[in-house]
Amino acid sequence: MPAQGAGAPRQGAVPRMEYVRVTAPDLARRAALATTHRRLRAAALCFLLLFAAVSLKLADATVLHPLQPRAPQIARLPPEEHDPTPGSILPVVANAALPHRLRQMIVDRNNQILAVSLPTAELYANPREMIDTAAAADQLKRAVPRLDAAMLRARLTSGRAFVYLARRLSPQEELAINDLGIPGLYFQPSEERHYPRGRLAAQVLGGVDVDERGVAGVERFFDRDLREAVEPLRLSLDIRVQTVVREELTAAMVQFHAIGACGIVMDVRTGEVLAMVSLPDYDANAFGATPAEARFNRAVTGMFEPGSTFKLQTAAMALDSGVAHIWDQFDAAQPIHIGRFTITDFQGKHRWLYLPEVLAYSSNLGAAHIALAVGAERQRAWLRQMGMFARLPIELPEAGLPIVPSAANWHEVATMTIGFGHGIAVSPLHVVRGVATLANGGLLISPTLLAQPALAEDEVARGQRIMQPATSDTLRRLMRLVVTAGYGQKADVPGYFVGGKTGTAEKVGAHGYKKHTNVSAFVSVFPMNAPRYAVYMMLDEPHGDASTGGFSTAGQVSAPAAGRVIARIGPMLGLLPQTADAAAIEAGLAIPLQPARGGGIAHALAPEHPPAHHAPMIAPAPARTADPRHDLRHDAQITAPVATALYLAPSDAAR
Amino acid sequence: MMERRLLREPEQGWTAKLWQISWGYVLLLCLLAAVGYVALYAAGNGPDAYANRQALRFAVALGLMLAIALIDIRLIARLAWPLYGVGLALLVLVLRYGHVGKGAQRWLEIGGLQLQPSELMKIFLVLALAHWFHRAAWERVGNPLFLLPPALAILLPMALILKEPNLGTALITGMVGASVLLAAGVRLWKFALLAVLAGIAAPLAYHHLHDYQRARITTFLHPETDPLGAGYNIIQSKIALGSGGLWGAGFQQVSQSQLNLLPERQTDFIFTILAEQFGLVGGVCVIALLGMIVLGGFAVALRCTHPFGRLVALGIATNFCLYALVNIAMVMGAIPVGGVPLPLVSHGGSAMLTTMIGFGILMSVHVHRDVEFPDQRD
Repeated sequence: MPAQGAGAPRQGAVPRMEYVRVTAPDLARRAALATTHRRLRAAALCFLLLFAAVSLKLADATVLHPLQPRAPQIARLPPEEHDPTPGSILPVVANAALPHRLRQMIVDRNNQILAVSLPTAELYANPREMIDTAAAADQLKRAVPRLDAAMLRARLTSGRAFVYLARRLSPQEELAINDLGIPGLYFQPSEERHYPRGRLAAQVLGGVDVDERGVAGVERFFDRDLREAVEPLRLSLDIRVQTVVREELTAAMVQFHAIGACGIVMDVRTGEVLAMVSLPDYDANAFGATPAEARFNRAVTGMFEPGSTFKLQTAAMALDSGVAHIWDQFDAAQPIHIGRFTITDFQGKHRWLYLPEVLAYSSNLGAAHIALAVGAERQRAWLRQMGMFARLPIELPEAGLPIVPSAANWHEVATMTIGFGHGIAVSPLHVVRGVATLANGGLLISPTLLAQPALAEDEVARGQRIMQPATSDTLRRLMRLVVTAGYGQKADVPGYFVGGKTGTAEKVGAHGYKKHTNVSAFVSVFPMNAPRYAVYMMLDEPHGDASTGGFSTAGQVSAPAAGRVIARIGPMLGLLPQTADAAAIEAGLAIPLQPARGGGIAHALAPEHPPAHHAPMIAPAPARTADPRHDLRHDAQITAPVATALYLAPSDAAR
Repeated sequence: MMERRLLREPEQGWTAKLWQISWGYVLLLCLLAAVGYVALYAAGNGPDAYANRQALRFAVALGLMLAIALIDIRLIARLAWPLYGVGLALLVLVLRYGHVGKGAQRWLEIGGLQLQPSELMKIFLVLALAHWFHRAAWERVGNPLFLLPPALAILLPMALILKEPNLGTALITGMVGASVLLAAGVRLWKFALLAVLAGIAAPLAYHHLHDYQRARITTFLHPETDPLGAGYNIIQSKIALGSGGLWGAGFQQVSQSQLNLLPERQTDFIFTILAEQFGLVGGVCVIALLGMIVLGGFAVALRCTHPFGRLVALGIATNFCLYALVNIAMVMGAIPVGGVPLPLVSHGGSAMLTTMIGFGILMSVHVHRDVEFPDQRD
C-alpha cells in the first residue's frame, strides 16, 4: 500500500453498509458524521483565518509600522571582545559606541530656550555577575539615597539576569554609582526634557512622555524632526510678548472671575504667531500629571461662536463684492421676528443705521440685513475663502475643525445670524487670521508657529490676495472707528492707532444660550495706519464688576486688556508710539459715522451711485406675541432646522 | 482496501504500518524542528548553547513519535481513561511536590527528566473526551446529563492547572476540550451560553488572578506604562521585529536579541529571533509551515472513519494550533504574555516530548484510520 499524504480525504470513507441496508442508527450516524465534518472544516477555516491574521500583524510589526528603539540600545553585557585595532570593530561595539543624541532644543524667535534635553543615565544590573547582591543594594542606597532600598534589594536578589534599577540619574549620581565599582551594574545613556519657562507657552510646546516622545503641541508635531534635527527648532513665539499676554490675561481672568482665557498676538503680514496663551495652563515639566482641562488649547482647539467680531467679515464681503456701499443704510429700527426667534440689538438705536454705525454700535440687525443682502452663496464662498470652514494650517496637532452648518442647513436665518457671528463656531486663531487678512491689504496669511524670514522690501504680506486693497483700507478705517467711537474705546492706546472689534457671544448650554454666560473677545490690529500685529484677547465666562458697571461684555472686560497688552508689547516689538504727527495720521484713518455734506473723507468715499436703502429685506412680521425675552441670544437653534416656517419676502438684494 | 475492511481488518504487520505513516507529515515536522535549530543557533550565538541539545532531543522524540504511531489506536482508546487518571494524579503531585520556578509550580522531576504534567494532561484529556463521545449515540449528545461528565473532565484539570498557577495553559486546556465537544456535535447554543457565562465570570475571575497575571493583562493593554518592568519584554520584542523589516537583518546579523536585550529569547520569544533575522518573509514562511501542520492534523481527522480517531486528531491539531497562535501573537504584543512556548521551535525538552507524543498519537490515528472498533455499534 503506497504512502499517503496526510491531507487527502477520499471518497469511500462512508461505511459500505449503506449499500446493504440503511437503518435508523445508520442515518443518525451519517447525520453525526456530516455535522462533525462540517464543524471540522469550519474549525480548520477559522484557524486558517487566525494564521492569516497573525501574518498580517507580523507584516504590521516588521514592515508597516516597525517600532524604533528610542535610543541606540546597549548590551547589558559589556562588549568584552572589544578589539582596539581599527577596522575590526564589531557592529555591536560600533553601535554601542554611538554618542547618544539628545532631543533638539526648542527656542523662541530670539533664541531663548523654551525646551531643552539634559543628559541623564538609566541604571540596570545583572545580579548574576554580582558577588554580593545584598551588599550591592545597600551600597547603591548609600550612593543615591533617593532610591528605594526595598526595591533595590528585591530586584537584585531576584536571581534574574537583568533588572532595571533607576532612571534619570544625574551625572553626579552616575559618578557616585560608578565609584562603587560593583561588577554587574551598567548604565544606559538617557535624557530628560526640561522646560525652563514652566507654564509659559505650555500648550504650544505640549510635552513629552517618559520616553521623551512628543505627545502634544509642537513637541508632537515636530517629534521626528526634534529627534533627528541638528539645529534647534526656532519658533515664531516671542517669549517676552508671551509673558505680557499671559500676565494681562491672568490679571483680567482673576479680576472678572473668568473660568478661562485665551490670547493671541500675530504678525498680520507673515502669519507668525508671537504669543499664544490659553488659560488655565500647566507646567510643561509635569505634562503627565496635567488635567485634560489645562491641556486644552483654547486658541486652536476651542471652537467658540465669534460673535460680533464676525461683523467685520460681513461688512468686508458686502463692500468687496459691491453689494453694499459704505453709505448704504440698514434697518435697525425693527426687531426681526423669524420663526420662534427675535433678533434685537444690544442698546439699540432703533433707527436706520449707516454701515459704519452698524459696526461702531455693533448692530445685530444691521449686520443681519447686510448678510441678507450678500446672500448665503456669497457669504459661504467668502468664509470658505477666509479658511473658516477648514482646520487651520498651524503646526499643532490639536488644531480643530470649525463647527459650521451644512449647506442644506444654511437657511436665510443662518445667513443672518452668521452675519453677526452666531450659529457658527471657529477657533480664536481663525478669527485672528481673518481679521489680519482684512487689515493687511487683503492677503490671506497662513498662521504659523515657525519663525519666518523677514518680508522683502516690496512685499505687503505673505499670502494670496482674496480681496481688493481698497476694501481692506475701508475696513481699517472701520476698525479704527470702533475704537474711537464705538464699543472698543477702552482698547485705545495713544500713538498706536488701535483698531478692532468686540465680540460677546453667549455660551450654549444644555437648553440653548445661557444668560450672562459670555465668551467676551476683543480682536484688534495695531497700528492701524500700517498694520503690523493682531492682538486677540478673550475671556471665558467673565463676570462684570464695579469698574465695568456690572457688564461682562467684550468692550468692558477684553478691550482694556488688549489695550494694556498693546501698550506693553509695542515698544518691545520696535514700534514706538507715533505721538508727533498723531493728528495727521488720525485724520488719514478717520471715517465719520454718517456721511457729511461736502468735502472731507466722506466725500472721498462718496458713492458713485446714490446710496441704497437696504431694507427691509424681511416683510413686516405678522402680528404675533413674541416673547420679548426671546432676543438674539436664543438663536443657537436658529441654525437648526427650526427655521422651516420663515416669513421671508423674496430676496432682492439689488434693489 | 475495501476487501480488507469487509474481512474485518486482518492484523497489520509493523512494516506494513510503517508504510501507512504519512511521511510527508513527518517531513513537515522535521522542517519545523530545523527552523528551531536555526533559531536556537542564533539565540545561543552558536550551536553549543541550545541548538545541538535540542536537535538531540528531537531525534529521541521523533523515535518516540514513530513508535507511538505504530501502537494500535484501539489500544490507545482503551487506555484513554486510565491515562486521564494518571494525568490528574501528576497534576496533584506537581502541586504538592513540584519544582517551583518563576513563582509557579509547574514542573515535576522524574529521574532527571523534567516534566510539565499540564502538557501531558491536555493530550490525555483529548483522549478521554474522544473515548466518551466515541461510544455515544448521536441522540445522547443532546442530553445535558450526558454532557456533565465530559464537562467535569475538562474543568477538573483546568482548576488544577489554574492553581499552579498557569492561566494560559488552563485556558488552552479549556479551549482544546471545547473543540472536542464542538466536533462531537454538541449544540452550538450551548457553547453560546458558555461564552456568555464566561463573559460574566471574567471580571470576577480577574479579581482572583495573581498580581503578576493582572500585570500581564494591564501591560498588554498599556505596554508603555511600564517600559522597564513587565512591558519590557514586549517592547524589546516589538523593536526586534521592527528591525527585521521585509527581508530580515540576516542570519546572526542582529542587534536586539543578540545583545541580550530580549530575555527568554530561546524559549518564549524564539519567534522574534526568527522574524528579526529573516524578516517578514521568513516569519510568514514559519507561520505557513505551522498552518500546514495544523491543516494536516485536520485532514487526518476528516479522513478517519471512526469517531474516536476524528476527535483525537482534531484535539491534538487544535492544541498545537493554539500554542503556535498564542505564542506568535504574544511576541507581537497582540495578546498578553502567557509563558507559552512555540512548539518544536522553542528550547525545552518537556514541551518537545509532549508535542511529539501528541503527533505520535495523531499519526496512529492516521495509520489506523480504517480500523473498526469492537464496540462501534453499541
